Order: sequence, then C-alpha cells, then structure tokens
Amino acid sequence: MPTLIIDGKKVVAAEGSTILEAARTAGVDIPTLCHHDGLEPWGGCRLCIVDLWQPGWDEDWFKLVTSCNHPAEDGMRIFTKSQRVVETRGVVLDLLLARCPDAPLIQDLAAEYGIEETTYAPREEPDDCILCALCTRVCDHLDIAAISTVNRGAGKEVAPPFHEAPPDCIGCLACAEVCPTGCIPYETSNVRRSIWGKDFEMLRDPATGQAVITKAQAEFFAGRGGVPGEYFETSDTSKRREMAKKFVSLQILEQGQS
Amino acid sequence: MKMIYKVSVERCIACGKCELACAFAHGTEGKPAVSRINITRRGPELGTPVICYQCDTAACAAICPTQALVRNLETGAIDMDRARCISCRMCVAACPFGNMLWDETYHCVQKCDLCGGDPQCVPFCPTGAIAWVPADMAAIPPEVLDRETLAVG
Repeated sequence: MPTLIIDGKKVVAAEGSTILEAARTAGVDIPTLCHHDGLEPWGGCRLCIVDLWQPGWDEDWFKLVTSCNHPAEDGMRIFTKSQRVVETRGVVLDLLLARCPDAPLIQDLAAEYGIEETTYAPREEPDDCILCALCTRVCDHLDIAAISTVNRGAGKEVAPPFHEAPPDCIGCLACAEVCPTGCIPYETSNVRRSIWGKDFEMLRDPATGQAVITKAQAEFFAGRGGVPGEYFETSDTSKRREMAKKFVSLQILEQGQS
Repeated sequence: MKMIYKVSVERCIACGKCELACAFAHGTEGKPAVSRINITRRGPELGTPVICYQCDTAACAAICPTQALVRNLETGAIDMDRARCISCRMCVAACPFGNMLWDETYHCVQKCDLCGGDPQCVPFCPTGAIAWVPADMAAIPPEVLDRETLAVG
C-alpha cells in the first residue's frame, strides 16, 4: 500500500486510491465541485488541485495536479495549502464567480479564499450552472445519456439534443439531485413529473396514490434486471401495510397452535 | 453472536416512541414522519412496527446504480454511503417490504443502519415489542409482562 506525506502527515492510502481519497482518509480537507464518490473522477472543476512532489524530482520542483484523478503513489509529498495552490484556486473561484455570481455555493467558497467580487467581467445573463458536468456524467453512468454538454468555450452549456425534450430521459431526477448549485429545474408530484421539457407519468400505487418513480424509470430498471419489475408497482406505505398484515396473521396462527 | 431485531406484534401499543427515538437519532427535527421504523396502526393502541430486515440478497443493493448500499460486515446492516447516492430513488421503489423511505424534509433516502449496532429505538419501547437479541434467542417467547409494574413504571 502506497505511503505518502500529505501536509506533513504520513498517510497510508488504500491500493489504487487517488490523492483525494488518501487525503480524506487522513482528514485533510480538499475542496471539490465536480467530484462525486459514486462516479468516475473527472478533473473538470480544477478546485482540488494540490502541489505534488515525487521521488526522483529536484527538491524544489513541484507540479500542480488535480487530486481527484491522480493516483496516490509511494513516497509522494502533497501540499494542499501551499501559496501556489491557494492562489490558483482563487483564480478558479474568481472565474467561477464571474460565471455564476448568484450561486451561494460559489459565493461562499470564493469568500473562503478572500474573493468577495469577481475581478473579471461577469456574464451578461448568468445562471447557476458551473459546468461541472455531474448531471451529464450521472446520466451517462446510468447508461441513459439523455443530456450532454453542447458547444465549446464561452458558449458551452448542458442541454438535451437540439434543445428539445430528450427522447431517452426517464425522469429519474438524478441530474437535478446531484447538481451542486441546484440549477436544473423540475417539477414533481404524485401524478406528474417534468424535467428538461419532458413530461412523465408517475407510477402510482393503486391503493395509496403514492409515487416515487416514473413509469419510464420503472420500465428502464426492470429491463436492466436484478430486481423483478413487479416490486416497483406498489408504494412503500402499502408494502409495509402488507407486511404488518402478514405479521399479525402469523401471530394469530401461532396463538391458535399453542 | 449475530444480533437481530425481535418484534412481538401482540405487545405493540402503537405509542410511536420508537419512531420518535429514530427521528431524533438520525435528524435534528425529531419528526416521526422521517423515522426509519414505522408503526402500521390497525386500531387504537394496536400497531405493528415494521423495520428494515437487512435482507441477505437485498433488492435495494441489487438495483442501486452506484453501489451506495453495501453490507457493513461489523453490524450486519446494509449501510448507505450518502456520498455515493445519486437520489434516483430506485431503492425506494425496489424494496419489496417498503422499508426504504424517501425523505422530502432532508431530501435523501432514509434507511435503517441499526444505529451502528446499537438500535436507539429498542430502549424506548415501553412494552418490549421490539427487542435486540442474539439470533439464536429470537424463537424464545418473551417474558410475561406484569401489567401493574408497566402501568406504574
């Protein structure tokens, strides 16, 4: 198992882990925006950068790397709060603040690095999307890929194909739930759900009228296997009622026998 | 020794103390609506506490697309790794016993984790309807309750 030194602390990292994972097990805090434990590392937000020194390098030579996708190796020395790291994170946050001046998450993070107002020209029509691509990556992870990033440079944005209601979307809301700034609008009730301009019919329990997933979502997950589709048909409340009934009838049976 | 929940349905008086204890143990608001143990009430002072069975082959863990639900070998519970959860709510729909709960207040899935091996609902049950016992003692009938003591205590 690789042993590395993070901010002067000796850390034994698990085999195959990244610098970020090693730092977190050691209790060293590294800020992230595009990282999610359930998804592949991406290295998009550049906020998790750290200064790295490896055996064989000159003593005064350091390299800035993204800790979320850089494998931890034996003998590495990591500095998460060096002046260069703090300055670079400041620039990243300054740029993000110019992009999303109204997002509380970015405002708070920037304030931590001493940036109250952006030094760049703010976007004319800002929204809260920081282009971390968590939404598109979570959609890809589910093998749905209904949304993706489109265009390049300043025009880059997250959108369904041709800005139309995405045919592949199953309305699972995972994209909206993982969004760190909560900028994907959706509406949901026990009857209907709508996201990305597409309307979904909910899978309602005939007894209680409760619904947690859409019909399209149930079909998709039933097709993936693992769990029989009929499990999805009733709500948790009526399933619990069923079980309670079964318990009571078992108890009556037991008392009848004794 | 493996410990398991033992539920004696005939003892439950539907007082809701277990639900409150659970809500306080896992949240800050103490709302019984976000409790992980649920009493199905079938009349005044008659209820059945229903709680996660920590299934051997669990549907919630099988359906989870990010492997956020994994068995904790120490406690035997299927624990939820919240950092891995993407809130797709498939586990809520897939659990055949209705013990995965979508919590609108905290906006996350609620799942019994056996409080890390020491369930907080058990000591609050006034009648011993829920007990935390070694697995081989689960079939032994519970001691007869002394109604007088119970009423005073």
